[in-house]
Amino acid sequence: MSSMTRRYVLKMGVLTAASAAVTQVRAPGLVHAQSKQLTVCSWGGAYQEAQRKTMFQPFETETGIKIVEASPTDYGKLKAMVQSGNVEWDLVDVGDLNVIAGTKDNLLEPLDYQTIDTKGVFPQVVHKYGIGTIYYSTVLAYSTKKYAKGDHPKTWAQFWDTKAFPGPRTMRNNPADNLEFALLADDVPMDRIYPMDVERAFRSMDRIKKQINPWWTTGAQPAQLLSDGEVELATSWSGRIFAIQKQGAKAALEWNQGKLQWDSWVIPRGSRNKDGAMKFIAWSTQPKPQAAIANEIPYGPVNQKAFELISAQAAKDMPTAPENAKRQLMVDPVWWGEHRNALVERWNAWLLK
Amino acid sequence: MPALAWLGIVFVYPLGRLLSASLFTPTLSLASYARLLGSSIYLTVFVNTFEIGATVTMLALALGYPLAFVLATAGPRVSRLMLAAVIVPLWTSVLVRTYAWMVLLGRRGLVNEGLQSWGLLDAPLPLLYNRLGVTIGMVHVLLPFMVLPIYSVMKGIDTDLLKAAQNLGANRRQAFLRVYVPLSLSGLATGSLLVFVSALGFFVTPALLGGRRDMMIAMLIDNQISQLLDWGLGSALAVVLFAITAGLLLAVQRFTRAERLWARIP
Repeated sequence: MSSMTRRYVLKMGVLTAASAAVTQVRAPGLVHAQSKQLTVCSWGGAYQEAQRKTMFQPFETETGIKIVEASPTDYGKLKAMVQSGNVEWDLVDVGDLNVIAGTKDNLLEPLDYQTIDTKGVFPQVVHKYGIGTIYYSTVLAYSTKKYAKGDHPKTWAQFWDTKAFPGPRTMRNNPADNLEFALLADDVPMDRIYPMDVERAFRSMDRIKKQINPWWTTGAQPAQLLSDGEVELATSWSGRIFAIQKQGAKAALEWNQGKLQWDSWVIPRGSRNKDGAMKFIAWSTQPKPQAAIANEIPYGPVNQKAFELISAQAAKDMPTAPENAKRQLMVDPVWWGEHRNALVERWNAWLLK
Repeated sequence: MPALAWLGIVFVYPLGRLLSASLFTPTLSLASYARLLGSSIYLTVFVNTFEIGATVTMLALALGYPLAFVLATAGPRVSRLMLAAVIVPLWTSVLVRTYAWMVLLGRRGLVNEGLQSWGLLDAPLPLLYNRLGVTIGMVHVLLPFMVLPIYSVMKGIDTDLLKAAQNLGANRRQAFLRVYVPLSLSGLATGSLLVFVSALGFFVTPALLGGRRDMMIAMLIDNQISQLLDWGLGSALAVVLFAITAGLLLAVQRFTRAERLWARIP
């Protein structure tokens, strides 16, 4: 080992030697100091604030494990950390597709379901390498200035119908969500969306393509465009619409034919505080913290027992409230995990045409 | 020597890593490059990127050159004030400046509402989410990089030369074009290069102000690196962008050297 190190050093020059030496000196001290410290990376913004208030701080008080926050989640960074062996994040809040992708790329630690009690947790969010944090929805959103509640488009077929519902509209610059909506607009029944008929979906997208401008890239955009009056119809994440309603924007959403999805906690392979991360996951998926976060920000708890602790008034804005959930499509992350990369490439080509 | 070592560490080493990431996927192969050539998207996006870069550079030059001239020839107080006006936007985040354009250029933005309320327009003009929006936003962000190098060169030009030329029978236009402009060419070349090369790597502005056809290469690289985790293709795109840019720079450098030589001959 030492002769290999020496040869390697000679080859790679002074820089590598210096950094290797630093790592060797620092590592033992760090491991010791960090056993009581947990670095959590999430998406920032109002969502992470809610996590801080209802999860990070109470967890710290209860267990004495100090939580250090990072943001925003970046899959590229996660991969770089694991591959370079310098894993700074112990726990990361990722989108459902990246549990599948991360598993495939061998970037994640398997979860310890001896420690984590999944009683009450919706089975679809329980995965060997990740477990749900919250549910969210991508939905049809509209300007209430233009459409009185009740007169707004309630299906994707109506969203596609630019004669009956004219006006500028925006959709996400991503095949995810849009291809499902395109099939729904083409009258494919909700329970027959997956596996998706991609050809049919793109043909349906062809019909709406020219009416969409802009194609949004960040979650804040559709909400902003709606409240500025730049667009009158949009696809948007449900929580964002409630956030701008609070600020007085004239916008609302339609749950019908929305797409339910979830975020997951994952532990990067080589995390310095795997046990702490596991403890946090076990704690945070329980009904009480799940109810607390859903009360703070209208996303859906992943533990169905949390609804017993949520007021009926608050529950009606949540994507997983039974009334809302039954009118929505549930994402199939496994299907997307297999097809995403090819579809993104096709999507980009389609947009440029 | 320490400077060379420093350059080696901060430039050559990362570039080497980039190159190896594009070649080892995970074993040595040209698969990423083959994919890049095999699909028309990447070519279209490269063409987009260079088109936008060239347009932005020309517009920045058209606006920046006269501005730099006024700056260099105005009195000290005016010039100091104007210089501050050029530099202050550099301290504001690109994101903020980009959002400001959204407020101005939108369908319900200041420009469209203003023109409509004066009866000059019936329907809002499409100023945003198209090539025009991207161009306006990028010219705004990059203008200081054009103005400053030209200004610094112009500051060193002796304006008595213009008077001398006029004394020798040149009219004002001739004196400006044949004496002043050639002397300012090195600033012009530096400014144009800075703007062009920075424009090639733009990400935020085209992503927020552009339409579906205005995809630039940096957006595609981000897509591959941080969303699809396809580092092979992402790195290959970056390597190709780097190679084309470096090639262009070398060619331009040759060209401007010849230009300067030519300029010195009366």
